[in-house]
Amino acid sequence: MKHSMLWAGALLATTALSPAYAQDSAVTIVLGEEPDLVEPCMATRSNIGRIVLGNISETLTELDVRGDEGLKPRLAESWELVNDNTWRFKLREGVTFSDGSTFDAADVKHSFDRAKSDQITCEISRYYEGIEITPSVVDEHTIDFTTEPAQPILPLLLSLLTIVPSETAIEFTREPVGTGPYVMSNWAPGQSITLERRDDYWGEAPAVSTANYVFRADPSVRAAMVQAGEADIAPSISAIDATTDMDASYPNSETTYLRIDHSVAPLDDKRVREALNIGIDREAFVGTILADGTQVATALNVPTTLGWNADTEARPYDPERAKALLEEAKADGVPVDTEILLVGRTGNFPGATETYEAIQSMLSEVGFNIRLQMVEVAEHEQYYSKPYVQDQPVLVGAQHDNSRGDPVFSMYFKYHSEGRQSGIADVKADDLITRATAATGDERVALWSELFGYLHDEVIADALLFHMVGHARVGNDVEFTPTIATNSQLQLSEIGLK
Amino acid sequence: MKTMLGKRAVSSLISLFVLIVMVFFLSRLTGDPAALYLPVDASEEMRQNFREIHGLNDPVIVQFGRYIGDLVQLDFGESLRKARPAIDVVLEAFVWTLWLALITMALVSVAAIVVGSIAAFNVGRPFDRVASVLSLIGASAPDFWIAIVGIVVFSVSYGLLPTSGTGTVWHWILPIAVLFIRPFGLILQIVRGSMINALGSPYVKTARAKGVKNRPVIFVHTLRNAMLPVITVIGDQAAALLNGAVVVETIFGFPGVGKLMIDSILQRDFNVILAAIMVTAIAIFLMNILIDIAYALLDPRIRT
Repeated sequence: MKHSMLWAGALLATTALSPAYAQDSAVTIVLGEEPDLVEPCMATRSNIGRIVLGNISETLTELDVRGDEGLKPRLAESWELVNDNTWRFKLREGVTFSDGSTFDAADVKHSFDRAKSDQITCEISRYYEGIEITPSVVDEHTIDFTTEPAQPILPLLLSLLTIVPSETAIEFTREPVGTGPYVMSNWAPGQSITLERRDDYWGEAPAVSTANYVFRADPSVRAAMVQAGEADIAPSISAIDATTDMDASYPNSETTYLRIDHSVAPLDDKRVREALNIGIDREAFVGTILADGTQVATALNVPTTLGWNADTEARPYDPERAKALLEEAKADGVPVDTEILLVGRTGNFPGATETYEAIQSMLSEVGFNIRLQMVEVAEHEQYYSKPYVQDQPVLVGAQHDNSRGDPVFSMYFKYHSEGRQSGIADVKADDLITRATAATGDERVALWSELFGYLHDEVIADALLFHMVGHARVGNDVEFTPTIATNSQLQLSEIGLK
Repeated sequence: MKTMLGKRAVSSLISLFVLIVMVFFLSRLTGDPAALYLPVDASEEMRQNFREIHGLNDPVIVQFGRYIGDLVQLDFGESLRKARPAIDVVLEAFVWTLWLALITMALVSVAAIVVGSIAAFNVGRPFDRVASVLSLIGASAPDFWIAIVGIVVFSVSYGLLPTSGTGTVWHWILPIAVLFIRPFGLILQIVRGSMINALGSPYVKTARAKGVKNRPVIFVHTLRNAMLPVITVIGDQAAALLNGAVVVETIFGFPGVGKLMIDSILQRDFNVILAAIMVTAIAIFLMNILIDIAYALLDPRIRT
């Protein structure tokens, strides 16, 4: 009798406990690089953002990368344009930080001021440069952002501003406090970072209760860890390892291209630039050196970007015409025999060296005199950013990543005559960039679209190559679909458990 | 003995200072940390601000003076990237490396001396042949390949050991096994060669003529004399491990000082580079003193 009662009690206890057990679910995520800091104001750096964004720290607005809802509310409930220069944000009520303090407008103002402070170098502040932005608290749950000049995409820019409590000191922290569904519970440098689910989170509780991040530099080890059941998600493995049914490819929002400096002959000649473009057989790379699913690019931004121009078509590979164009230019006195330096970055993407070697050989075939130089990141930067090397024509092989939905994060920088990495100085392009940056709604879409078409078809600004894909391995116990934003953020709330 | 150690200490301190000067100036020749710390599209103002905060705008010689001044007070400065004292970052990593090196070298030394001695005693016989071939293969195989094959076989296929990382005793087995192979092959060859020489020497012949048994011949007479070159090589190999086993640390996600050094060089985190070099240099200096003592114990002629 006693025994059976004990058993019944034990059974009851187990049944009572089992829902709690079901919710007590840990995942391990293996990343390639440990962050130096887990600092909210550095969350635009991918190795920090993947841990912080949407997990520890939240933003006022959020770009929907899974659906097509565009910009969605997160810590802001709504926003409106009060006048041309002022945006008003209504903030969510009943939100608390992981340190127990209540979220209000003063926190938003402090977060912005802290990010812009010259006492620390917060990476997210670069998105607010060149605009004068003044936040002012209207009431506890309302804040105005006044900008000079008018900033039509301010709500989008604020999707990058991670909110910290107003007590946060203006120095880098290693113990981040945020309003997100998770709090950092442990960091063993060099080994792991652990996030625990918060019970007092304002939103829906995510399925994952504990996330353990570990770091392995070698992609095949990351893949092996998921295979051996030691990790659940490896967001980035190499294409060669992506052979099991646990692996999925996804556009990783990187675009590979050759930046052309138009100021040095013979690259100042449009025929030469066209020959460069049609002298490369882009299709031949896909499924060979580069992974299946890689797309030929017609713009620096990925197709999901606002204003991406569907009418621009990639120039087909035509070595005969390329030769003819070079002959024609040569006849007009263009020094097409000049040695052109092709600069690539070692390890920029899997197969980078092979890709640039193949490009060098294809271009040599049509009559270019190309010398390839593979360099490390620091040296690459010297070629990539102004002031440019002037004594020789240079093609810089590079990657650009903009998963933020709007070309504004790319265009000034890459194509405006003042842009730090722009190879062109074109009055019409400058004008389009300036106007599109200031425009809203359909007009903005139309202007960006015109710019994409103009750069590709008329200016032949650069040799655009590929929209790249990444590969992720997801273990059998979890459900997770990588998106175009997975490179820069990985929200634990998007992970389901089986 | 004391004079010898004193001389060694002084010369090591001089080397350490020269090393600091060289590394300080050479690392600054690699360029501006602001260029790497900040994203490519950061403005010049942001870069300027970063340099200002970290004192990188001052003339290099002023920066050097400040560095030495701080160093005298045992302040190694802050890591540019991690927002914490460089020395903490380095010591944290160095402890892992130290354990990895100690355990590996202890195992390697014992195994290589035992197997090498047996091989030397059986020159030309099957044991010797097998040991020689295996040690040669071990000494020439690339460690990153052995590491990956080890993971595939022992972790993925058979699930016997964890692929990588830290946490349990099991996590140490694969990294140590990979690190073991190369020095084992090398030291085994030295032990074998040195033992063969010693076994053919007049004092061994004398001992044997006097009827001394095999075991005392090996362990009392031969081994002690044959150990001098072996200790030198063990010292070299240990120094290499103390500098960090970059490949093994990278593949197994082992948080040691080798990968830290490479990363901080690539990121131009000057204070971490300097602190890491100083800590490893001091460790190697201490180890050399231990080797000198071992030498002196084995060979009375050195003690003077």
